[in-house]
Amino acid sequence: MKLSYLAYRNMISKPLNLILSLMLLLLSVSLVTFVLQLSQQLGGQLNKNIAPFDMVVGAKGSPLQLVLSSVLHVDVPTGNIKLEEAKTLQKHPFVQIAIPVSYGDNYKGFRILGTEPGYLDHYNTQLSQGKLYKRSFEVVAGSNVARLLDLKVGDQFVSSHGLAASDVDVHDDHPFIITGILEPSGTVVDQLLITNLESIWDAHDHAEDDHKEEGGDHDEGERHEEDHDHEGDHEHEDKEITSLLVKFKNPLGMVQLPRFINENTSMQAALPSFEVQRLMGLLGSGVQTINGIALAILLVSGLSIFISLLRTIRERRQELALLRTYGLGTGQLLGLALLEGLFLALIGFVLGWVLGRLGLWAVSLYTQKSYGYALEILGPDTTESVLFGLIIVLAVIATLLASLSIFKLNVAKTLSDA
Amino acid sequence: MIKTSNLSYAYENGQEFTFPDIDLDPGDHLLVIGPSGVGKTTLLYLMAGLLAPLDGTISIAGTDLHSLALNTLNKFRGEHIGLIFQQYHFIKSLNVSDNLRLRQSFPKSANDKKRRLELAERLGLADHLHKKVTALSQGQQQRLSIALGLIHRPKIVFADEPTSNLDDLNCVKVIELLKEEAEICKSSLLIITHDMRVMSHFQNQVVL
Repeated sequence: MKLSYLAYRNMISKPLNLILSLMLLLLSVSLVTFVLQLSQQLGGQLNKNIAPFDMVVGAKGSPLQLVLSSVLHVDVPTGNIKLEEAKTLQKHPFVQIAIPVSYGDNYKGFRILGTEPGYLDHYNTQLSQGKLYKRSFEVVAGSNVARLLDLKVGDQFVSSHGLAASDVDVHDDHPFIITGILEPSGTVVDQLLITNLESIWDAHDHAEDDHKEEGGDHDEGERHEEDHDHEGDHEHEDKEITSLLVKFKNPLGMVQLPRFINENTSMQAALPSFEVQRLMGLLGSGVQTINGIALAILLVSGLSIFISLLRTIRERRQELALLRTYGLGTGQLLGLALLEGLFLALIGFVLGWVLGRLGLWAVSLYTQKSYGYALEILGPDTTESVLFGLIIVLAVIATLLASLSIFKLNVAKTLSDA
Repeated sequence: MIKTSNLSYAYENGQEFTFPDIDLDPGDHLLVIGPSGVGKTTLLYLMAGLLAPLDGTISIAGTDLHSLALNTLNKFRGEHIGLIFQQYHFIKSLNVSDNLRLRQSFPKSANDKKRRLELAERLGLADHLHKKVTALSQGQQQRLSIALGLIHRPKIVFADEPTSNLDDLNCVKVIELLKEEAEICKSSLLIITHDMRVMSHFQNQVVL
């Protein structure tokens, strides 16, 4: 028989003690791993999504909201800006590229984003099937959208007004047609249906016509579309977009342009990196608080392991003395206690880690549904290895302290005491 | 097999014991008898190497017990000495079979299942191998205690008051069982007791 088997039997011989010690350990481990993963993945997701653009220009309002809505697509936009006004920025010497985006409709809760094909290039996305949109009402679907709605090239759908899924206010006169499906990119693009700017404008122009005329038919719709073709340039002059995504050529743009726009135009400029940093700063204090609480629970769990082992070692004094008559030395008895402590730590950590990941998975289901962002269930990372090491060290210290009496064990006296 | 000379021991409270010399040949049986309080259990722990004598020597199978280093002594005891205690001592988290297996495992790893089953069979424990030790009756615990003293085929078995809690009938049974098992294992048997009922069963006797 191995000492480890005896340690295991000893451990499970007091189930209530075991459960108490394990619960505390499990709670602290799951809390730490869950919160760390959540904040890391959130930070990672955010940074990946804002990376392609240095500045976003939109209607006046909250800069955080502008970033959340136009770059991360989790909030409603601050309003619209004039395309013509925004376009002047494209010629600014500090600006490398400025991509207009426009949105306001959805299909089953997924945003339809009108933009230039350059948008896709900035997120390094490739088509997995079909081809890029060329004309109005042609759409490429992000990988998640296609997967979750089971969309294929050639499918048609009608959009509905607003950014949340609903059946009211459906633009059913202008069906969109899917021309391509994108490869998964791990960015916000996966959650979007992307078309050209004109599609967004046309859908809304037509919707407005509908409301005025109480029942425009298809022919009229086609006539309008031809109008756009002929008078495209003219039409653009009073067109509106939701925002303009800007990449700077020169880092000086970061310093000068936002202030210039905010002070001299009716538009607002926000820096995604700055806003995300601010957001993570706010979250960071929450994360630190929870980590502090988890650490406190961890110490209490170490204490509970210590007390539990101290008690069982006292209760088992006669058994330890008996083992000495079987030929086990003090070192082996110490090893027995250490094994029991380490088993506890190991089981507590593994179960806690699994619980943390289950929590993450549950949150992921929610964020996927509500925001279109899924969290990844990853293997143990470096921080978690450090946590594991910490718990092992804690368990060893607790066990050694609890085992001091083993060194003073008087075998003859202990065995004679009834 | 065991040979002591000029053995004495002193407790911290000043109580001192001196013991007559003991000399036991391999396979022989010896009864050490004396009233309570003359240091019988002390003598047993001295001979088992669990206490260090104030003076004198103990040698088992030619090995001077107290010249051994602590770890060697532990191993020597585990391998060559069997102990049967007045109070039964078991590992409560293990069942009957695992208690026996544990005794076989140290200091040398051995997992002799045949030996376990055979001994359990002879001691009437075969049907109880998978019971918790706490679920055994008094008599079964007594027999398990004997089994634990003998399972590893020690050179010498020390039994401390093995009959003190038993009625006359069971007293005779246990003594016969001990002698029989010791003979089968070719172990020397040394019984320490104040129980006069045991006297007639042993030719070799030392009175304390």
